[in-house]
Amino acid sequence: MVDRALPAICIYCWIFTIILFPATAMSGCGDGKTFCIGLVTDVGVIDDKSFNQSAWEGVQKAGAELGAVIKYMETRDAKDYEQNIHMFAKNNYDVILTVGFALGEATIQAAGKYPRIAFIGIDQFQAKPVHNVAGLIFREDIAGFKAGALSSMLSKTNIIAAVMATDLVPPVAAFQKGYKAGARYINPDIKIISSFHPGGLDASFTDPEWGASTAAQAIAQGADVVFAAGGLTGNGALIEVAAHRGKYCIGVDTDQWFTVPSARSCLVSCALKQIAPAVFTLIKLAHQDQFPEGNYYGDVALSSFHDFDKKIPEKIKQDLLEIESRIKDGRITISADE
Amino acid sequence: MILLLRSFLVPAGSVLLAFLTGGILLFLSGSHPVEAYIALFQGAFGDLSSISRTLEKATPLIMNGLAIAFALKAGLFNIGAQGQFLFGAFAAAVAGFYVQAIPSVFHIPLAIFAGMTAGGIYGLVQGALKAFSGAHEVITGIMCNYIAINMTDYLVNHPFRDRSPGNIVARTPQILDTSRFPDVAGIPLGFIAAIIAAILVWWIVRYAVFGFEIRVVGSGINAARYSGVRIRSVLMGTMLISGALAGLGGAVETQGVVHRFQPGFNTGLGFEGITIALLGRVHPLGIIPAAILIGAMKAGAGMMQFSAGVENEIIDVIQALILFFVTADVILQKMLPGIKWAEGERLSLSTGWGGNS
Repeated sequence: MVDRALPAICIYCWIFTIILFPATAMSGCGDGKTFCIGLVTDVGVIDDKSFNQSAWEGVQKAGAELGAVIKYMETRDAKDYEQNIHMFAKNNYDVILTVGFALGEATIQAAGKYPRIAFIGIDQFQAKPVHNVAGLIFREDIAGFKAGALSSMLSKTNIIAAVMATDLVPPVAAFQKGYKAGARYINPDIKIISSFHPGGLDASFTDPEWGASTAAQAIAQGADVVFAAGGLTGNGALIEVAAHRGKYCIGVDTDQWFTVPSARSCLVSCALKQIAPAVFTLIKLAHQDQFPEGNYYGDVALSSFHDFDKKIPEKIKQDLLEIESRIKDGRITISADE
Repeated sequence: MILLLRSFLVPAGSVLLAFLTGGILLFLSGSHPVEAYIALFQGAFGDLSSISRTLEKATPLIMNGLAIAFALKAGLFNIGAQGQFLFGAFAAAVAGFYVQAIPSVFHIPLAIFAGMTAGGIYGLVQGALKAFSGAHEVITGIMCNYIAINMTDYLVNHPFRDRSPGNIVARTPQILDTSRFPDVAGIPLGFIAAIIAAILVWWIVRYAVFGFEIRVVGSGINAARYSGVRIRSVLMGTMLISGALAGLGGAVETQGVVHRFQPGFNTGLGFEGITIALLGRVHPLGIIPAAILIGAMKAGAGMMQFSAGVENEIIDVIQALILFFVTADVILQKMLPGIKWAEGERLSLSTGWGGNS
């Protein structure tokens, strides 16, 4: 008898608790005093060692400095972008960050619906400025230029290589263009073996075998520095180069010293998009009511040399600083064509 | 009536057990299970918009559940539903943005028809392979799923790519407003379509001659052959209808939710249809509450993450547990021995493997 009644009892308890506990208390966002920052990831996890994580680091720093409430939502299903943004907006968050190009449309839509909230769209180019949306984007050509210059300085054979994902993606094409320009800026006669993955958008970022074999080919042709840009494809190239003694490789986007540890034996540096500091700055601007609309360019830089720091001659470090300042004051411009 | 209630026992008991086990997991991971489940419930049914979202999430699950259940009636395990769903979603998108300047009254059904045809034909291919060569539908289905994924990836990246400025991802253009589903009194139109489809399928299986033939084939190929059923036509017809149902699910998803075809937006929905079909005891009408339950869990997961801080992977775990308890119903019967279980409470999944013609 007890057995038979068990499910029913459980259901009663269940309904009872639902009635007993009303909605959980809110955090005080929107009361005019508490500053709240929310972040919506692209499909994936927050500690992805890539864009989600970098953006969240920026949010954490801003949160600590401003004493703000911070929270993130991991997106599980691409159909939930809107809903996840809405979750923060409904709870009167002051700043909402959305990570990745794919959330661009949902971000613009939410911005129209909630004109008082500041939206930061990471990697979202703003074709038409909206007053409460800042698209955080990066000059990949400048990042590539720095990587190219470093490659050129490191190369002893005067042959360097770039292994890239598809040029259908504008940032990848920009990386390559900048890389060539940077390499030629140091040495106009350098030979650059540059290859784009022949596949489409889906395959070209997830083909480490192609990345590895292309890098191996370039090395066979005499290249001694390889720049790899393109998700897993690029990682494949980095790992391949690591297997060749005395060759250098350069990574991209985040500091791949931490994301691809198996490439450490060749990884001199990475062409970084500095997401965290840019996110921090944008949030502070929003807090001071000086939120910029339209596109906001984050800094790009070469990462720390890590273990190679002692092997890199002081001369090269000086030259890189010089290039940095020349780019800043406009003495170096990267032309639209190669 | 009592018989009907009994057939609910296994699914209801499984769901309960799964939530209890999930609650223990939540507790062990440091969250408050009651708080988490309340948030889940509020996210799924808390207000009108969340109810509408629950129904929206349930809709493709009903369609895919029907597709799987319908094929199971003939002893076929249509694991290719995912591929049929993708082609349906894609075809509806193409019809949605390619065909221009016709009123909604024609455009909406046209896009639906395109989706059903695409899914149906793809299902028919797998049915024909089974009927004429004896190739097992599970194997061909898995292969066909890969073909569908890569084919649609290619199609949206090249011939049907969204060429609007600023777009850098592979996706089709947005479908026109005339092909989008409106909401009827706050309920997504797709959900209404799904209910109608479920009733139709139930009627076919129960009362139509074809439905009878399907059940005969499902209960034994040899007996069916002996009693003069044209087995090949039945196998092909079943897969055609099953594929059309999955394709309809894809079309509804495109026209009602996504409004374009984009790879990565419909992953896993076809496979979740299997969960739904089993949870609904392979009964066309049982699939509706099963889909609403899983749909509610998907819709409420966001709220659970937001206000209870629970990683939403727990939803996958609970779903997997439900499926586990439903299929391993012996566990349930051992745990609750006092209950008189309905006769024939065994799921006849095995026929899907024995049906060599």
